[in-house]
Amino acid sequence: MILETRDLSHDFDGLRVLSRVNLSVQRGERHAVIGPNGAGKTTLFNVITGTYAPRSGRVFFKDQDVTGESPHALVRLGMGRSFQITSTFSRLTAFQNVRMGILGRRGIRFNVFRKVDAMRDVTQEAEEVLRRINLTAERDLPARLLSYGKHRALEISLAMSTEPELVLLDEPTAGMSRDETRNAVDLIRRLTEGRTVIIVEHDMDVVFSLADRITVLHHGEILATGSPREIKANQAVKDAYLGEVAD
Amino acid sequence: MTPTALRWIGGSLALAALLAYPYLFGIYFTNVFVTFGIFALYAVSFNLLLGFTGLLSFGHAMFFGAGGYGTALALTHFKSLPLLPALVIGVAAAVALALVLSPLMVRVSGTAFSMLHLAFAQLMYVLALKLRAVTGGEDGIGGFRIPPFRIPGLVSVDMKDPSSFYYFAAAVLGLSVFVLWFVTKTPFGSVMVGLRDNPNRVAYLGFRVPQTKAVVYLLSAGFAGVAGAVYALFQNLVSADALHVLNSFTPVTMTMIGGVGSFFGPILGAAIFGVISELTSRYTERVELVVGLILILVIMYAPQGFMGFVNAARARARARFAPGGATELVR
Amino acid sequence: MDPTTAMYVAQGVHGLAYGMLLFLVASGLTMVFGMMGILNIAHASFFMLSAYFSYQVLAVFGSFWLALLVAPVVAAVLGVLCERLLLRRVHAFGHMGELILTVGISLVILEGVKVFWGTESLPIHVPAILEGRLALGGLDYPVYRLFVIGLALVVLGVLAALLYTTRLGMVVRAAVSDSGMVNALGVNVPLVFMLVFGTGTWLAGVAGVVIAPILTVYPGLADQMGMDAFVVVVTGGLGSLWGAFLVSVILGELNAYGVQFVSQLAPVLMFLFMAIVLAFRPMGLFGERE
Repeated sequence: MILETRDLSHDFDGLRVLSRVNLSVQRGERHAVIGPNGAGKTTLFNVITGTYAPRSGRVFFKDQDVTGESPHALVRLGMGRSFQITSTFSRLTAFQNVRMGILGRRGIRFNVFRKVDAMRDVTQEAEEVLRRINLTAERDLPARLLSYGKHRALEISLAMSTEPELVLLDEPTAGMSRDETRNAVDLIRRLTEGRTVIIVEHDMDVVFSLADRITVLHHGEILATGSPREIKANQAVKDAYLGEVAD
Repeated sequence: MTPTALRWIGGSLALAALLAYPYLFGIYFTNVFVTFGIFALYAVSFNLLLGFTGLLSFGHAMFFGAGGYGTALALTHFKSLPLLPALVIGVAAAVALALVLSPLMVRVSGTAFSMLHLAFAQLMYVLALKLRAVTGGEDGIGGFRIPPFRIPGLVSVDMKDPSSFYYFAAAVLGLSVFVLWFVTKTPFGSVMVGLRDNPNRVAYLGFRVPQTKAVVYLLSAGFAGVAGAVYALFQNLVSADALHVLNSFTPVTMTMIGGVGSFFGPILGAAIFGVISELTSRYTERVELVVGLILILVIMYAPQGFMGFVNAARARARARFAPGGATELVR
Repeated sequence: MDPTTAMYVAQGVHGLAYGMLLFLVASGLTMVFGMMGILNIAHASFFMLSAYFSYQVLAVFGSFWLALLVAPVVAAVLGVLCERLLLRRVHAFGHMGELILTVGISLVILEGVKVFWGTESLPIHVPAILEGRLALGGLDYPVYRLFVIGLALVVLGVLAALLYTTRLGMVVRAAVSDSGMVNALGVNVPLVFMLVFGTGTWLAGVAGVVIAPILTVYPGLADQMGMDAFVVVVTGGLGSLWGAFLVSVILGELNAYGVQFVSQLAPVLMFLFMAIVLAFRPMGLFGERE
């Protein structure tokens, strides 16, 4: 098991957001977390990736207790994360964004001795990544000027740039058109090959086409966990969603 | 002629002008240039925090002052201290101060960062005023011995001669600016800019944000200290005025005028500010009034400063000559 | 009562008076922060400007009471104009732009008063009716200091009443703690901004007029008060009126007794106090975690 949470609970000023969540994700799995708005999905991500420490409960990553570790430590251990609200370097170009990710992966953190533009291997790698995510034409465009779909693709690529073993994608296709969604799913599939993915999604087509297993979160509690077929057939899930689950 | 060749020629001309300056323009303007150089470095060090890392400090004078007092005190108390070690001691004082403050300062940002710096700088100012025995209070420390620039066995240059001091200052300040410029071009410089745009994402790429900020902070403080140390040597005096809040507002103004988004903006701003101060002081003592008015105007109508104008004009020119297609004006 | 105790009590009264004035200034500052997210660096300059206006009114009309009435209002109007015409335009550039703009405004005011009134300190006399001392419970208190405390309490009482019992007050309180939310509820936030800004500046103006006879009117008037008010706001909690009140009184007394005992380094006491509070509660005594 690459990720396991035990009785994870969290509240904000008395409002219970997560309630004894026991999530387990196998290595190589594509695990979707679904649930209505306010179910606690993003909070779950925040707690797993170290944005905040949970009120109670533990998080185990690769059999190590990482509860309350800071984001940068978890990233160095092999986690990656994309955000619901696009979190790139908006004033930097697509190229510079990707390059930042590569510097992070290569551990080039305090180098003050070489001009970064002169680091040809870094530049080559960045251009390679840009090709993989179809952003070569937009190489020198500031990120905030990218089209929504391409901006989200950059976001996902940044999440993957440290080559994480486990990547958490928070609503990667939010706000996308049909076509953009299809491209995004394809991109995700390509980029996350051989890695473990936990994905929060509202688009059920995406969920059912990508996920190996699904966990349903409701009011901060796990309602059900299982294969897509099991979830589709689960009555409690249907009741909670009342038609949100596409058939 | 190729652009590179043009750049080389331009550079050489500028270098020649710089070398000949004291003989071309005389003592008064030589001293004006040294003052400009000091504040240019001071403003550039300030902008390392603001333009590059997104941190606005209203207390940068404390590092400038630390450099000045460090050097002045060293020369006052160590009678045979050579020139460069005295300079280094001043810089070390500034860096030490930054080291003490950094654990707190790297964990705050935004308004809190700005105001905490205002508070600490004010505290330094009050201390400098009150601890007369150490700092000379309002009168400051002055009249200390200015050692010659000496390479043992080779050369000894008297620093009391304005031309000689000019060359020394130009070398030190110029080298400092170059070092800072180089840093912004390195991978570390990229991370700095990343911190400005999205510190959260920087953490999620595996960087330790507080430690990274600390290094920027130390660099910024250290080079402000260099400026302060040269200032102390230049004036042969340093007083609490160097720590006054107005001296903290000065690099802010210079950077805003010159352009916060560019490395050279603060240098330009220091030059413009110097010219404006010179001109204004001929008519009135109220130079700060004019400075305040300009700051208001710049912030309201030209927040990107002079360099902003230049870049916008360049982008427009490029758009006009670009082969079709949409071109976005990057602000 | 023996002289030593009398001295302690006298210092206490002085400290309380200064603390009250400090609160008058700090309250506006903290409320503006709550609403706009910036500390108005020019706030103390308006405090000083009002003192200068009061000098002018006194010089022309000879009435301290008229000055007390008029000067703060003029200062407040100027403050509102600055907010409306200058600050609002810069809102789009974020907090840094606003902060820098307030720096510019403060520079203009700080130097501007020198242009109109020179650099000398201008004395203002306590109105005859408030001169002298009052004997209460075996002690002599300077009447003016008591007046200062009384006036401040009255003003603050009225303010508190307005804030906590009227509908407008409720809106203002909501806007101070979450202006975004209030905007979404259809309240005219720009108008509330102006109101809070104006009232805060007016309060600082009142403090300016009242402190003038004690400290005289001079260009450095804003320096001490500005720093003190800032420390109050940061230590008490940004946006918290109760925090500001508590810390103002503490600082007033620290100042008064500090000058007695540590004289030269009294200002350092203040920063020490702030540092200790911030070390344990970085958001101030009553501030809310960001």
